[in-house]
Amino acid sequence: MVTPVAGRAATRRPVPAPAAADGAPPAAFLARTDLGRLLEALQADGRTVIGPSIADGAIAYEEIRTIDDLPIGWRDAQAPGRYSLSEAGDERVFDYTVGPTSWKRFTFPPRIPLSRAQRDGRRVAYTSVEPETKPLAFLGVRACELAALGVQDRVLQDGPAVDRDYEARRASALVIAVECAVAGATCFCTSMGTGPRVRAGSGFDLALSEVGDGFLVRVGSPAGSDLLERMPTRRATADEVMAAKAQVRAVAERIGDPVPTIGLRDRLVDRWDSPHWARIAERCLSCANCTLVCPTCFCTSVQQVSDLDGLVSTSERTWDSCFTVGFGKVAGGNFRSRPQDRYRQWLTHKFATWIDQFGSFGCVGCGRCITWCPVGIDVRAELAAIAPAAPEVAGTHAPEPVAASPDAYVTARIGSIHQETADVSTLRLVDVDPAFVAGRPGQFAMVARPAFPPAPVSISRYRPDGIDLTIRAAGPSTASLVGLGPGDELGLRGPLGVPWPLERAVGRDVIVVTGGIGLAPLRPLIHGLLADRLRFGRIRIFYGARTPADLLYGDELAAWAARADLEVGITVDRAGPDWTGRVGIVTQLFDEATWDGASAIAFVCGPERMMSATAETLGERGLTSDRIFLTFERHMECGIGLCGHCQMGRLFVCRDGPVFSLAEVRDVLGREGI
Amino acid sequence: MGLPLVAVSAPAARPSRPRVGVVKFASCDGCQLSLLDLEEELLAVAQRFEIVEFPEASSIRSHGPYDVLLVEGAISTDDQAAEIVELRRQTRKLVTIGACASSGGIQALRNWTDHEATRAAVYPNPDWVASLATATPVAEHVTVDAELRGCPIDGGQLRELLAAMAIGRRPQIREESVCLECKRRGATCVAVAGGIACLGPVTQAGCGAICPAYGRGCYGCFGPREQANANGLADALVAAGRKGADVGRLFAGFTGWAEPFRSVVDRLGGTPGTPASQTTPGATPASAAHREDSR
Repeated sequence: MVTPVAGRAATRRPVPAPAAADGAPPAAFLARTDLGRLLEALQADGRTVIGPSIADGAIAYEEIRTIDDLPIGWRDAQAPGRYSLSEAGDERVFDYTVGPTSWKRFTFPPRIPLSRAQRDGRRVAYTSVEPETKPLAFLGVRACELAALGVQDRVLQDGPAVDRDYEARRASALVIAVECAVAGATCFCTSMGTGPRVRAGSGFDLALSEVGDGFLVRVGSPAGSDLLERMPTRRATADEVMAAKAQVRAVAERIGDPVPTIGLRDRLVDRWDSPHWARIAERCLSCANCTLVCPTCFCTSVQQVSDLDGLVSTSERTWDSCFTVGFGKVAGGNFRSRPQDRYRQWLTHKFATWIDQFGSFGCVGCGRCITWCPVGIDVRAELAAIAPAAPEVAGTHAPEPVAASPDAYVTARIGSIHQETADVSTLRLVDVDPAFVAGRPGQFAMVARPAFPPAPVSISRYRPDGIDLTIRAAGPSTASLVGLGPGDELGLRGPLGVPWPLERAVGRDVIVVTGGIGLAPLRPLIHGLLADRLRFGRIRIFYGARTPADLLYGDELAAWAARADLEVGITVDRAGPDWTGRVGIVTQLFDEATWDGASAIAFVCGPERMMSATAETLGERGLTSDRIFLTFERHMECGIGLCGHCQMGRLFVCRDGPVFSLAEVRDVLGREGI
Repeated sequence: MGLPLVAVSAPAARPSRPRVGVVKFASCDGCQLSLLDLEEELLAVAQRFEIVEFPEASSIRSHGPYDVLLVEGAISTDDQAAEIVELRRQTRKLVTIGACASSGGIQALRNWTDHEATRAAVYPNPDWVASLATATPVAEHVTVDAELRGCPIDGGQLRELLAAMAIGRRPQIREESVCLECKRRGATCVAVAGGIACLGPVTQAGCGAICPAYGRGCYGCFGPREQANANGLADALVAAGRKGADVGRLFAGFTGWAEPFRSVVDRLGGTPGTPASQTTPGATPASAAHREDSR
């Protein structure tokens, strides 16, 4: 649906920004000349302000007493093993990326006393040391660093055991975030899903975006709101809001997606025995710099500091690292005796086993471990070498859609039409924007004709010169599309939505279960599997339709069935006169087959009731819910999570799906009225 | 190098204080002075240990046996080589203190030179000097029970060693790189931010990262850590554009005779008498071939 918003962005006259859709207050604007007021207000509240300041040739986090302590007009340049500063001489305050300090220095200090012990004759006494905290304000916390605080929160205070010192220090700190306006060469927050945008609800009290002569300010908490009320702000203009968005979007584009993270956990834990670990160990110095600059690493050791008689002692907790030789030592040996063991421990923890322990990656993509490695080991390159993403054909990441917003379309021309069944036709589109050709199996397009509402249609084939859309004439819109002829043009937006995670199938047996037109979104997936056939285990396709005449892609289906490296089971509800195959529902079909699902992955498309039954049967075969993928249908209008139509519980089908793992949708699958 | 630190305990039941001796060989006496530098704790130390031999502090000389002998200096003469064997026989726990005793010290640089030529160049009457061709760590001559590294040793580590000996526990001297101390104290990495060649990543901690904290690279006076990847660091420094001999010279310092620093010096040169910035033929990174494989 086209909404008349075009043109507003071009308005030159300052227009107050509209309130955000989620009811958040509109952004405020703080002039750069008033940044000192913010500092003074924090200090008046009794807070020590910690923020960026130049120290020893780097932008470190130190106490900020006046605005002059900030790195105004300075830029940093980073590369693996290299860091340098240069002066731009302008007024920009925050045009640098993260430096060697992380906020854990203040929430999780390098050395703290834990307890004191005394011995008097035969009696001993222990006293715990109370955390000594003072009110702090963190100024300049980046999106990746907010995420890092969240990661450490989960480790140190959200679990069953709480680190009291951390908890006290964390609670004492007000967080003023700053959205990145520049990208560092070692940044990869985009890949880790942590930045560069500072998202609402990510744990800040105030969030600043440096635009024009000051800062767009967003409020994230009541404390932030109180603070902002004391600032001489005005309401931000629409232009300023747009500029801030464009600025952070440009940063994301600069960074790109250096670490494909989809399936990374599985890929890494499959590579315990990779010969590459030993190759890294030739360069790795086990110096531990990566873990010490890491904002999430939390390993420590406790040392006893005693007097000469051992009568009075203090337990001191100090930052340690899994890279030190002694970290895995016990009497008689060392569990991780080789440097390669220790590198593997660190990397697999950050990118794989952390997920099992704490539900997220241990890495936030800040890039410190790359910049501050004295020999410049680049974790992005090592991950690619050890646990490469699946082949290009499988594609891990959806391309940037064209014409994503609901008001903008690109056009494509129908090259030919193939009638599949009585009411289903496949439109072969040509002159298609290249973004569509780069789409991934499982994605969809919003397809429109003037005067008709657009319809979401899954892409049923990717060709070098275009795409296929298989459409069932279910209503006036789709009927109008099916009724078109070669040479007719139509409007497209996309490709949209989360694709099938084909790369997760690498090395596994694959089960594809579908019925009727449900084969359409799975067809490119099957093409992807066949294009790289040797990378997958046994592939079984189970397909059902109401009647033989309702089977799609008849010739292709026959060709698949003829292949020796593909098992294809087909069933129909009602047989026709010429039908010699199976009759029955598709779940019966694959339920009878003999196979073990313990190492398999499944891709399912069909009505929800069918998917629900299928998922259950697959589960009985040993498939875990993170290896069963389903694609959902809902009323989709905008296709990008803005209109609200396709909401399914906590998910938008268009934006968060349409492909979901069973684990993600277990609570809503098969439930009426969601 | 890299001897394990073992608990050096006085027998608990012995009524008298443990007899402690401090002796020196080829060295500057700086490490012995670290004991005197304990100052306010010196009396407490003297109450718990009977210091029977300590030339820097007292002219009273004694003979063994010693419960603990702190040995400073490298073995540089025939007499010293004989004396350390005798001292070992009289000592329950022998602890080397400092870079000279633990790795040969700066004088071990002569191990790469022509001894006779050096003697002739330095002394007007070389025949009067009875020195060995090499200056070597104590551990090359006798069994060493524990070692304190550094040039000089760290007072805090000495204190910890004494406390551990007095109480009968293992001294808590951590195996880790200087980088850990550097990062804990919040110093900016001079290697990354300053482009300075720094041995911190491969050097045993204990100094508190003094040099990097003052903007200069670590010169490795605490010697190589356990499993130090000295070749990895040397290769990286060469790959960053430094001359092989310059990199070798960096390792050929106070602890250059200790492996694996010694192998880097053997491979890259940079020993005394070698001009700076001379690229030696052996300057090919040892692991270059493997790294090519990984690309």
